[in-house]
Amino acid sequence: MGLKLITDQIPREKVPGASIIYIPSGKYLKYASFGYSTLLADLVYIWSIQYFSNTSVPERFQYLTHVYSIISELDPQYLDPYQVGALIAIYDAREFDTAMEILSQGLKKNPEQWIFPWQAGHYAQMILKDYELAKKYYKKAMEIPGAPPITKRLYSNAIYELGDYETAWKNWLEIYKNTDDERVKKIASNHLYRTKAAMDIQKIKHALKKYKDKFGQFPEKLDSLVSQGFLDGIPQDLDGQDYVYDRETGEITTAVIPWKR
Amino acid sequence: MKIRAVAFNTFKEAIRDRVLYLLLFFAAASLIFSRILALLTVGDKTKIIMDAGLASISLFGVLMAILMGTGLVYKEIDKKTVYTLLSKPINRLQFLLGKFFGLMTTLFIMLGVMSLIFIIILLLHSGQITWKFFVSIAFIYLELGLITSVALLFSCFSTPILSSIFSLSFYLIGHLSWGIETLIKKMKPGVTKFLTQVVYTLLPDLENFNFKTEVVHNLPIPPKIFLFSFFYGIIYTFFILVLSMLVFRRRDFI
Repeated sequence: MGLKLITDQIPREKVPGASIIYIPSGKYLKYASFGYSTLLADLVYIWSIQYFSNTSVPERFQYLTHVYSIISELDPQYLDPYQVGALIAIYDAREFDTAMEILSQGLKKNPEQWIFPWQAGHYAQMILKDYELAKKYYKKAMEIPGAPPITKRLYSNAIYELGDYETAWKNWLEIYKNTDDERVKKIASNHLYRTKAAMDIQKIKHALKKYKDKFGQFPEKLDSLVSQGFLDGIPQDLDGQDYVYDRETGEITTAVIPWKR
Repeated sequence: MKIRAVAFNTFKEAIRDRVLYLLLFFAAASLIFSRILALLTVGDKTKIIMDAGLASISLFGVLMAILMGTGLVYKEIDKKTVYTLLSKPINRLQFLLGKFFGLMTTLFIMLGVMSLIFIIILLLHSGQITWKFFVSIAFIYLELGLITSVALLFSCFSTPILSSIFSLSFYLIGHLSWGIETLIKKMKPGVTKFLTQVVYTLLPDLENFNFKTEVVHNLPIPPKIFLFSFFYGIIYTFFILVLSMLVFRRRDFI
């Protein structure tokens, strides 16, 4: 025992993360598992968590896709690794394409799992701010039975962010009418307020631009847009209140913040 | 009656074997370790416990079957006690079957103990257990029956070390033969494909008794699988026992 304690204290040079070279292809590893492929998948997954958390390993994300594809080959129905792999790819490796690749693999092997396209949409929206991509993934998630109701709300929000206010309005109205949950009704109502406001403000600004092009300045009041024939009528917000008009800048805003109605 | 008497004695002898308790100790340690292993994961801890637990029960069960089974007949021949036994009004078939059932009874108890430890660990962790778990254990037992019959076969004509190697090889081939099925699908029709199919049909397919994935992921199991896997196990075991009988009948103990 004394010899062991002494030996342990002798410093030895180690190459951080060298164990990665012993990881073969998942397909061949499945043959070598002799019926214990799910246990092997668990062990590789637990190892990968320790490996990718080790900040002293340079370029440790180089094999991220390879390691998680091994786990996928060994146990395709093991859902946690796909999600954690994508999480590591997004937040640590900052590789969005790798995250999408891992999540796509998860969806391919588990087409009944809505969580993968949902997570992809979430990353596209929150990290990339790519609402077109987010919309595509949320739509895919919505088509899978069991997807939570919030998926449709996120999808509708992505449509709003893309500027398609007509479709966003239709979706939010459908959500508002089809729910009995008061909280969801309130959320939908706020989004409907915001969408109508966006449509109205767009219309008014278009008229203001035409007015300024003709008269060289913004009108004193919005009523001038009607009297001059640029608008049929001055729209009001969903609560029947007038929009706030800044004559100096030509900006139009809502009287209240939608979330504080 | 005679088979029962031999079985009972085999059981009494096997249950006193220290190797059995050593394996049982490591199996219990492995089952408890699965709970610790689960702490290292991110996500579903129950999955890790189920995987490690079922793998431990299966692996240690196979080791018990091989280590005990390979000495069953050989020990009797080596110690010359087989002469005393076969001089009694008992035929070789009854002797073999008694040995087989004696070890199967021992394995049943060992499997029961391991399963009980595992159930306690599972209930303490998640508080739930499904009927599929018991189905998986039942088919592990069926697989052990087949492995025991193979160990008994080799024990009839070979030394314990060689018998252990052959039995272990049988087990490994049994879990690799699904790879041959994949190979057959990719082969072009012809003599080679036909011969490979014959080899594949003759080789054991122990994956038929492996329901660990279904238990862990709570996947549906087609009822037909139960029936066909059960009969496959029974018939294959019977076939190996018949082979053992043929070998043992012609065995000269000098």
